[in-house]
Amino acid sequence: MFSEVVTPELFASAVRLATPIALAAIGGAVCERSGVVNIAMEGLMLISAFAGVAAALLFGNAWIGVFVAVLASVLFSAIHAWASINLRADQVISGTAINILALGVTGFLMETIFGHPGTTDTVKTIKPLMDLPAGGGGVLGTIWQWVDVVFLSYTPLVYVGMFSAVFLTWAMYRTRWGLRLRALGEHPRAADTVGINVLRGRWVAVLISGFMAGLAGANLTLEQVGSFTENMTNGRGFIALAANIFGRWTPGGAYMASLLFGFADALQLKLQLFSDVIKIPPQFFLMLPYILTVIVLAGVVGRAVAPASVGKPYKEKG
Amino acid sequence: MSADPQAACELPPNVGQDRPPILELRNVSKRFPGVLANDDVSASVAPGEVLALLGENGAGKSTLMNVAYGLLSASAGEIVVDGNSVQIRAPRDAIRLGIGMVHQHFMLVEPLTVTENIVLGMEPTNSWGLIDRAVARKRVVEISAKYGLKVDPDSRVMDLSVGMQQRVEILKALYRDARILILDEPTAVLTPQEVHELFQIVRELVSQGLAVVIITHKLDEVMAFADRILVMRAGRVVGETTPEECSEQSLARMMVGRDVVLKIDKGPAKIGEVVLDVSDLVVLDDRKLPALKGVSFAVHGGEVLGIAGVSGNGQRELVEAITGLRRPSGGTVSLKGRDITHDDARRTIAAGVSHVPEDRHRRGLVLEFDLVENVALGDQRREPFSKHGILNRSALDTEARARIKDYDVRTPNEHVAASNLSGGNQQKLVLARELGRNPELLVASQPTRGLDVGAIEFVHRRIIAERDSGKAVLLVSMELEEVMSLSDRILVMYEGRVVAEFEGGQVTEEELGLFMTGGGRTPTEPSRASEEDTGA
Repeated sequence: MFSEVVTPELFASAVRLATPIALAAIGGAVCERSGVVNIAMEGLMLISAFAGVAAALLFGNAWIGVFVAVLASVLFSAIHAWASINLRADQVISGTAINILALGVTGFLMETIFGHPGTTDTVKTIKPLMDLPAGGGGVLGTIWQWVDVVFLSYTPLVYVGMFSAVFLTWAMYRTRWGLRLRALGEHPRAADTVGINVLRGRWVAVLISGFMAGLAGANLTLEQVGSFTENMTNGRGFIALAANIFGRWTPGGAYMASLLFGFADALQLKLQLFSDVIKIPPQFFLMLPYILTVIVLAGVVGRAVAPASVGKPYKEKG
Repeated sequence: MSADPQAACELPPNVGQDRPPILELRNVSKRFPGVLANDDVSASVAPGEVLALLGENGAGKSTLMNVAYGLLSASAGEIVVDGNSVQIRAPRDAIRLGIGMVHQHFMLVEPLTVTENIVLGMEPTNSWGLIDRAVARKRVVEISAKYGLKVDPDSRVMDLSVGMQQRVEILKALYRDARILILDEPTAVLTPQEVHELFQIVRELVSQGLAVVIITHKLDEVMAFADRILVMRAGRVVGETTPEECSEQSLARMMVGRDVVLKIDKGPAKIGEVVLDVSDLVVLDDRKLPALKGVSFAVHGGEVLGIAGVSGNGQRELVEAITGLRRPSGGTVSLKGRDITHDDARRTIAAGVSHVPEDRHRRGLVLEFDLVENVALGDQRREPFSKHGILNRSALDTEARARIKDYDVRTPNEHVAASNLSGGNQQKLVLARELGRNPELLVASQPTRGLDVGAIEFVHRRIIAERDSGKAVLLVSMELEEVMSLSDRILVMYEGRVVAEFEGGQVTEEELGLFMTGGGRTPTEPSRASEEDTGA
């Protein structure tokens, strides 16, 4: 059974399933480092997933779908930024409001545009970036098959996720923007007293988070499923929040943590096929990623230190 | 309130200034809702001069300097730099004009390195627009060499001592080419050695042509290091003088507006039975590392035992372990022979321990609650305050009114939120609750932190009154002067251990400071070195 479960497809599926979580989690890391909690990622993903499908159907082009998905998510994240940065609203409340709004808006627009609830029409999904020929037989053929499937078989946004994890980690620790970003989340008043614009810095971070969550939603519908179903994100935005914490508020760490969640998800899908053999109900495996989330959020896996001022609205001066 | 004629050493303005001022504040007023924090204040400082801005908390010193630094905008008045009238809307304007400020609460990003903190906001960049770390580090090293401010540029700020962090703050200002340096209560958190070093640094800065403004309420420091003293009270300048022309006593009178007892009058201790017995106590800190590594001592009735030490050497954990807020992992704590090692706060209170916590906002009071509720905290289960879980409001009101009167808490009535009181009155409220319970042991941690002279006097008198009525007092304070003047015995804590014990009045500040920083003689031998009066 082992060889049937542990295949290159298992790992590839883990990466694919991890990607929407990772894209959102990377943005979440940027956002939280600036001092703003983005619990709205769930809703942002949902809105962009829907907007992407709707635009792709309307224009007949999946890439226009990706653009519209990101635009929608950035616009909604601006609501979060306005409420939590300018109005100094409680960031969790603001994020929750967006999550509920997203559920309502997508459900409503589904009926308005498609005339029925449930699931939208299907779009042609975006193809893998590379389409390489399968290897021959022998050991070399097997190695090639593993390399091809595990590393080279993905759609473009999967690679965007990997690239942004590396790029944003570098940017966070090696650029002026990154230094200032980290200062904002730790001690915004210190940043203010040396002339850094706290509100603008936080705005940028929230919008980046919106951008990344938009890519996450687009990946979900336009690269993976091909259609939108109500509440299809199904908690991935919250898992992304957990991945960001597990990854210690760094984009790279968030990506690695997302891979773990993706792997748990891939494993449960695979093991469902074998539930007769191993006598465990498939529903149990379904729980795996969520149980992992709870464990991570409960702080069992290493105690991470959050940015000191995360979640605290900043008031410029008296 | 008008300027008092009693300000004996008041002089005409600008005495002693031979150079034109670099920074002038002219007729500055700052109005907050309901308060006039600065009322037509004028002040100036010249290059090569140390100006002390002296006053009680709430006198408006920090407000004035925050106006100069652009953190607050003045309601009226003019700021003049180098003879030109300027607009300072934000700190970046102030920085551009060469004004630097070291805030009382440091504006440092703890997880970042010294260099990163110093260059933050003005990072040197290379041709790619990226931070040039080599250049940044080099500039930091250069500036620290130029002014004799030794600090490791690659350490993370969170790993530095408070004194070192303060140097980073000063370097931050110098990196921005500050010509005017404002230090807000710079010595509040320093050891005597660090204070000494700070003032050497200040001397160096001044000799290189900087103008330095020090905001403080400590009279001895003003006398020792200021070139010129501006005394503020209730938002106004009430006097200007120099150390040569006045005394601590006259300064205190100007500051408070009445005569103040600076020295604590206490009779000899009438030592009673052991009240608190701490034996081999081991306590872990929040990171699960040992903060107390086997501490033993006893406090007797009628005695004040003072604990001196640099913040973070286990004092907090000690206090929390005794008051039931933290569970010791080894050793015992007993009160009058009863083991209270594992008692929680509720049972510790019932056993007769009262606690004045170091942070009155977070632990001493519930700021949103009114005074009655704050007085009741901890006793809310007791009759007559409550019965069967239901509060008896009228009994509470009566008790609260009595204690507010007894402890001279200045408040419009007992139903305002504690957050509306001044710091001094808040602390009186904490004392009213904790001492009103008539405890066997008072654990007072930093009981006068951030209080002004008048309130300090009150708190000190109450602590001595407890001692004189035969109660045991454990006093933890970073203020050496306080520990030395109140304590009958002094323990010095360093890295989770008691490293020295002294009889009160038989040790100098310098000696204590040496032990506090891990130096000093072998800790077994009590000091006989000095009996001199250290109050002055």
